[in-house]
Amino acid sequence: MGYVLDFSVVYQRLPELLLAALSTVGLAVAGMSLATLIGILGVLTRTSKSRILRIPTIAFVEVIRNTPFLVQIFFIFFALPQFGIRLNPTATAIIALAVNGGAYAIEIIRGGVESIGKGQIEAGFALGLHKGQVFRHIVLKPAFRAIYPSLTSQFIMLTLTTSVCTSIAAYELTSVAQRIESDTFRSFEVYFSITLIYLAISGLMMTLFSAISRLLFSYPVR
Amino acid sequence: MINKLRHALHRRSVFIAAAGAMLLPLVSALPAHAGTLEQAKAAGKVVIGIQGDNAPWGFVNSSGVQDGLDADIGRAFAKELGVEVEFVPLAVANRIPSLVTGKVDVLFATMGMTAERAKSIQYSKPYAGNVLSVYGPKTTKIADYKDLAGLTIGVPKSSAMDTSITAGVGDKATILRFDDDAATIQALLAGQVQVVGGNQFYGDRLDAASAGTYDTKFDLKTLYNGAGTRLGEKDWNEAINAFLDKIMANGEHAKIYAKWMKREVPKFPESMPDIPYTVM
Amino acid sequence: MANIGVNELLFLLQGLKWTIALAAIGFVGGGIFGLGVALMRVSTHAVLWRSGAAYIAVFQGTPLLMQLFVVYYGIGLLGVNVDAWIAVAIAFTLHTSAFLGEIWRGGIQSVPKGQTEAGKALGLHYVSRMKDVILPQALKISLPATIGFLVQLVKGTSLAAIVGFVELSRAGQIVSNQTFRPLMVFAIIGAIYFALCWPLSLWGASMERRLAKAAR
Repeated sequence: MGYVLDFSVVYQRLPELLLAALSTVGLAVAGMSLATLIGILGVLTRTSKSRILRIPTIAFVEVIRNTPFLVQIFFIFFALPQFGIRLNPTATAIIALAVNGGAYAIEIIRGGVESIGKGQIEAGFALGLHKGQVFRHIVLKPAFRAIYPSLTSQFIMLTLTTSVCTSIAAYELTSVAQRIESDTFRSFEVYFSITLIYLAISGLMMTLFSAISRLLFSYPVR
Repeated sequence: MINKLRHALHRRSVFIAAAGAMLLPLVSALPAHAGTLEQAKAAGKVVIGIQGDNAPWGFVNSSGVQDGLDADIGRAFAKELGVEVEFVPLAVANRIPSLVTGKVDVLFATMGMTAERAKSIQYSKPYAGNVLSVYGPKTTKIADYKDLAGLTIGVPKSSAMDTSITAGVGDKATILRFDDDAATIQALLAGQVQVVGGNQFYGDRLDAASAGTYDTKFDLKTLYNGAGTRLGEKDWNEAINAFLDKIMANGEHAKIYAKWMKREVPKFPESMPDIPYTVM
Repeated sequence: MANIGVNELLFLLQGLKWTIALAAIGFVGGGIFGLGVALMRVSTHAVLWRSGAAYIAVFQGTPLLMQLFVVYYGIGLLGVNVDAWIAVAIAFTLHTSAFLGEIWRGGIQSVPKGQTEAGKALGLHYVSRMKDVILPQALKISLPATIGFLVQLVKGTSLAAIVGFVELSRAGQIVSNQTFRPLMVFAIIGAIYFALCWPLSLWGASMERRLAKAAR
């Protein structure tokens, strides 16, 4: 068939790709931050005594975790305008990432908070710590340490999911790669190369997260 | 005891399912083996790349059957070769890559003939005409590229509309590129873009969705569609050109054209600069 | 706006058929290879566990969409010409094998060391030890996570839509474009995926609860 691999076409447009990679990371960070917010708020409503808060939260988590991201982002971009809610591709991508990540964050954070035994909290009060101190040193920090691995790996998955945002024409690595592919028709070379870029991004994030973990969690547990 | 039974059943059913899954590819039709014309005739089928969601050229109707102008011409071509036809619906940006990597034998996929594309694929004679235009709300006045400044424009990725508009507006407007015509039209209807670059059928489809809201602003260019085959493969190219000559002479082409395009067959140019109709 | 009638729903069900087929093939095929990957990963030979770890790292560190694209276009280049759905199925199989390999590695390593030692003491060789002692326990421990991944796989099949494959999500796009009712169509698609995935998720959660109870 005589198809000769030619990676030079990718190399020539590397600056474009790297800029797009930056945008990918930007979308992911924005999505992650909002997702964490949604996660914390969601834990409060999820564990609330009131059914009006608890049931919709459970429904939200179950629906988001059991439907594909592609369908969620299509819904936000193409269907919400019928309700008068029109978001541009970047906003749509960030909201979709936040909602998707948030549903998982709620469950992860809830698991962490519920893992703190009541005995620990009572001991804190017995030692004379007031509510704020108990919350910060006895609930928050240990819970955060416990959920850190799950939360960070969820964030890395979220970063990889940004590639799906190309379907709504958001500006990120995959959509720029598709433009280069349409100019050069070198599909394999282009996609193989950006797969390497994604690998680098996730690798760097893992290194960053483990460095942060060493900084924050070096104290012995028991 | 129950656990042992459960594990045994689990293991056995896994193996059975695995064996079945491994056999599935064999049970399905012969793998698409896009190769030479002789190979296709020997295998008894031609694999045609087509658009799955672009009425009235190539689309999958609600019964799940491939239909449209390209589908009818594709079927006629297969009949001429004396083989079965297998349609592979492709996204706009996948058409040329799928041909070049051998996933399909030939493209009847609304391939607008451009000099750029002619470097990657071999076109046949043109068999259809396609006027590309900018579509937008009736209430907005847009006469040429200048009026597009500051707007958000939707186009299908790597389409001829994409190329024209990108060249025409530069960075004076925001261009959103979607996977196909369907998503582009959806985007306009949802108001995510203010105008779109589309082919001559966007008008009908927009009217079907929202009568009287949109109209044509200005024409980008007229494209002719040709069938696509791989560069250097004389056998396919000659077969298609001979077939097109035949159906244009005996009136079959005009019938198919009227059925789908609802207009007369336009006069096709005898030749186009930098776009050979035959293998040199 | 056209109405969503029986024809449209039947078309969606056709897409659903492909979604289920892709997920099933990916899961079964990926399960078989995943077992191999897990065994490589826990092996004591440096070459085996390093390559196992690298394989897993590549599939877990890159987007599923990219894996689909690379396999879809790469297979054609190898000179092997296959149907689109086979290329996509291969991509899902490889993806699954890496993730299940990692999940099952965790399961294998959770089985108490005493079990392996007892097996060796009884004179069982590697294959028998694995097949009869370690793997049954490991797979049982990893069952919740395995079911959890199956849910991710079913959702993941939606990405085949982006390479133009007509599974449930793409069928939904097509119907949405023919009827001009994106809200209703995407809601129906979401509901179908939910109907597929939620029971699996609930099953996984109940498995997890049962295992936790048993461990107490």
